[in-house]
Amino acid sequence: MIPLVRFKLAAYTRSHRLLQPVIALCAMLAIFYSSPGPALESYSDSAALLIIVFAWAAKSLLDTEPPTQRLISMTAAGNPRREVVSGLAAAFTVNLGLATVAVVAPLLIRFGALPPPGDLARGVGLHLLGVCVGTALGALASAPILTSPATSLVVLFGGYVAMLLLSLTPIGGFLVPIMPWMRATNSGKLDEVLPQIAAATLLWSAAGVLAYLRLRRTRP
Amino acid sequence: MRLSKVSFRYSRRGPWVLRELDLTLAPGTVIEVTGKNGAGKSTLLRLLAGIVPPSRGTVSQRPRVVGYAPDVFPVGQPFTVTAYLTHMAEIRGISPDAIARLAERLEATHLLGQPLGDLSKGSAQKVGLIQSLLAPPDLLILDEPFAGLDAHTRGELPAMIGEIAAKGGTVVVSDHQNQLENFPGADHWLVAGGTVTTQQGERPKQVVIEVLVDAAEADEVEQKLQADGYTTRRTP
Repeated sequence: MIPLVRFKLAAYTRSHRLLQPVIALCAMLAIFYSSPGPALESYSDSAALLIIVFAWAAKSLLDTEPPTQRLISMTAAGNPRREVVSGLAAAFTVNLGLATVAVVAPLLIRFGALPPPGDLARGVGLHLLGVCVGTALGALASAPILTSPATSLVVLFGGYVAMLLLSLTPIGGFLVPIMPWMRATNSGKLDEVLPQIAAATLLWSAAGVLAYLRLRRTRP
Repeated sequence: MRLSKVSFRYSRRGPWVLRELDLTLAPGTVIEVTGKNGAGKSTLLRLLAGIVPPSRGTVSQRPRVVGYAPDVFPVGQPFTVTAYLTHMAEIRGISPDAIARLAERLEATHLLGQPLGDLSKGSAQKVGLIQSLLAPPDLLILDEPFAGLDAHTRGELPAMIGEIAAKGGTVVVSDHQNQLENFPGADHWLVAGGTVTTQQGERPKQVVIEVLVDAAEADEVEQKLQADGYTTRRTP
């Protein structure tokens, strides 16, 4: 499966589509870190707000391959499921790269001193949660699932806005708890709610990925 | 390989594209699939290749190595022909040595350094064929492979298909142009109305004979020929 992931990554990077989420990432990082602030709070906001960039990157990677090439890759890989999982793995890999930039760049250019290891670990963990949600959302809005570009963009951005707004409601802690994790960080209570936030986020990400796998069975 | 009571539709409420198919594909056979546009030929090929699962029924004993060449090769990819085919060989877990041999046989050696996006329809079709043959296939599925091919490759392809069948491989070819009409021993499948009608072995060869008759006798002659079982077509 690794050669197929490599093929998808090569096609994506050579197509220059990677530039779009990279530019969006740089713009958002410039806004987040335009004024000084505590490292953990900055990381928390960054991880939550970059979900849309991660989703965009996942969608654009999965959209890069022509539909007929996916059919060729399925037979070459020996199994359609391998092609679908390789696409998700390639999208996840790209998003890990983007998340690494989002974590490391402020260390180099913004934070005066290295944050405490605990805060750094929390920042990394929150970005990983963002990568999981973003990859799942991007996959569900990708061309193999939604062939209309207009519909897929509405699902991508609408889905993210809906997640943000629903996370403000009383049941927000059980959905993808984006706003609760930003609020908890700002009020210094992240550690208290982190297990619940991580569990809910991973659960919904897994549900999104399972839905994507299921839908791709008849949408090669 | 066997299809048992296989039906397929793209969505739960969508129309059935194929219904209750019972088909057997023996090793070493060549099957020409024909049918009108939209009859379900490409869907049948995708079911056979394992790209989509049947909505109902089962497909069993599908061979391990499947080669698939689509009707239109996707040239919109940022690779040279060699880079692309090397990736395909790596995905199959085989050495890329076969690329040069197959390219030479299909007169595509000069294409190897070209970007995929610069290829003509026929050249792209050759790349599609080469990738499907990189690993000797146990099941080779070619969707309209003759479209756009030059005369040399149109002649070479049936020979290659024959070699794969001789080694025990099964070859299924969707063929609008009936290039395999006279392929020795080929089975013929007609896809129509959601079902597949099979005809084994060689199809009887037919010719057209033009018969000139007086207009006054035309009805009588036509009735005689039709009574003898011939198909007639009158031209003014």
